[in-house]
Amino acid sequence: MRITVNGRQRDVSSEPVKTLLHVLREDLGLTGTKDGCSSGDCGACTVMLDGRVVNSCMVMVAQADGASVVTVEGIATGGQPAEVLHPLQKAFSQCWSFQCGFCTQGMLVSCYDLLQTNDNPSREDILTAIAGNFCRCTGYQAVVTAVQQAAAEIRTSDAGAQNERA
Amino acid sequence: MNHPDYIAAESIQQALHLKQVHGEDAHVVAGGTDLILRMRDEILAPELLIDLRKISLDRISKHEGGMQLGAYVQIAQLLAHPVIKETYPALAEACRQFAGPPIRNRGTLGGNIINASPAADLLPPLMAYDASLVLESISGQREMPLDQFLQGPGQTRLAPNELLTRIMLPQILANSATSFIKLGHRRSMAIAIVNVCTRISLAKDGSVEQARVVLGSVAPTVIRSQESEARLKGQLLSEDLIEDCARLAADDATPISDVRASSEYRKRMVRVLVRRALTANQSELSGGIAGA
Repeated sequence: MRITVNGRQRDVSSEPVKTLLHVLREDLGLTGTKDGCSSGDCGACTVMLDGRVVNSCMVMVAQADGASVVTVEGIATGGQPAEVLHPLQKAFSQCWSFQCGFCTQGMLVSCYDLLQTNDNPSREDILTAIAGNFCRCTGYQAVVTAVQQAAAEIRTSDAGAQNERA
Repeated sequence: MNHPDYIAAESIQQALHLKQVHGEDAHVVAGGTDLILRMRDEILAPELLIDLRKISLDRISKHEGGMQLGAYVQIAQLLAHPVIKETYPALAEACRQFAGPPIRNRGTLGGNIINASPAADLLPPLMAYDASLVLESISGQREMPLDQFLQGPGQTRLAPNELLTRIMLPQILANSATSFIKLGHRRSMAIAIVNVCTRISLAKDGSVEQARVVLGSVAPTVIRSQESEARLKGQLLSEDLIEDCARLAADDATPISDVRASSEYRKRMVRVLVRRALTANQSELSGGIAGA
């Protein structure tokens, strides 16, 4: 089986029913993705599969054969290990959007997905996007604050880039 | 978990052939969001998994005034479809309240039907819209109304050599209103305590031509309340009639007590939710603002 993970082709020889979550963590060493409930309830294992958020604990690796996966490790840029944090990651740390951090990577992936199509999300938009991500210590308000801050930063830098081109 | 063989079928014929040869030992993989749990908990131990993702069963199209939905259509796909939202709004609403985004991106319409959970969110609206199912085997196909297909929790009339391939939604009468109400412990990622979906279609004289009162999570399968549907037929909607129907629907419910709620609470909520749903239908049909 062959999966493109964070832009890099990876051959996987595990058994077909092994979950994508466990292949990422155990076979590919990408431990940013967390195993929370293993039953599709908590969202700690959220990744993008062919451009859409999914619970990686609810995907057999054979179902992802030929697909493209983005994990939390693929959100930051600038090589491995990543050197440049995504605006969302910076905002999460600046806004104290996590305490234990176990749900954080899932929140980041869900919000990363949201910002692909919505550069100015409302509180309701954000709460809908993270409806499948449970936090049991910090709560959700600081996440909303961080996502709106990151969206503002992205809008500003996009506007700056456009001005440079003009 | 056991160690089944895994085949991503290249055609519907290949999938049907595999089902013919392997029967109940072969299990279909659609979204996988229920299958993975059942395999891990060893409720299911198939010898062969047949993945349907390469087969074009994910289409939504118009058909004879109604709609035809592929069994592999994902919940998110239904939710995003403008014609579904316009024509079958209660189905779109059930999709909106279905789990959360990651599950909606994987779970399929066919999976929610075949799984046959009494609490399945999509079954009440599908039943309220008189959905029927196309079941195919290597020797042909048959069509069966959804309310005849469901037999019990996890039990259906799908034969071991059959696949559910399409879901047919007929054209809905012109002057119709539907309402779906889900009662859960929270707004997302919740299994329903009670689901209610009602549809009222009015005749030209303003009386009820067709009524559907569908209840979820209060019987071994999703059910239609025969008593309240019969009470509605031919009548003019009124507050008294709606109250009567809400009571009859609660009488038709035979819920169990479980971790989510007691039997008594569920029965009381059927009455409350059917009243609200029918009141919303009445309001919509009289040109007011639906207040579900």
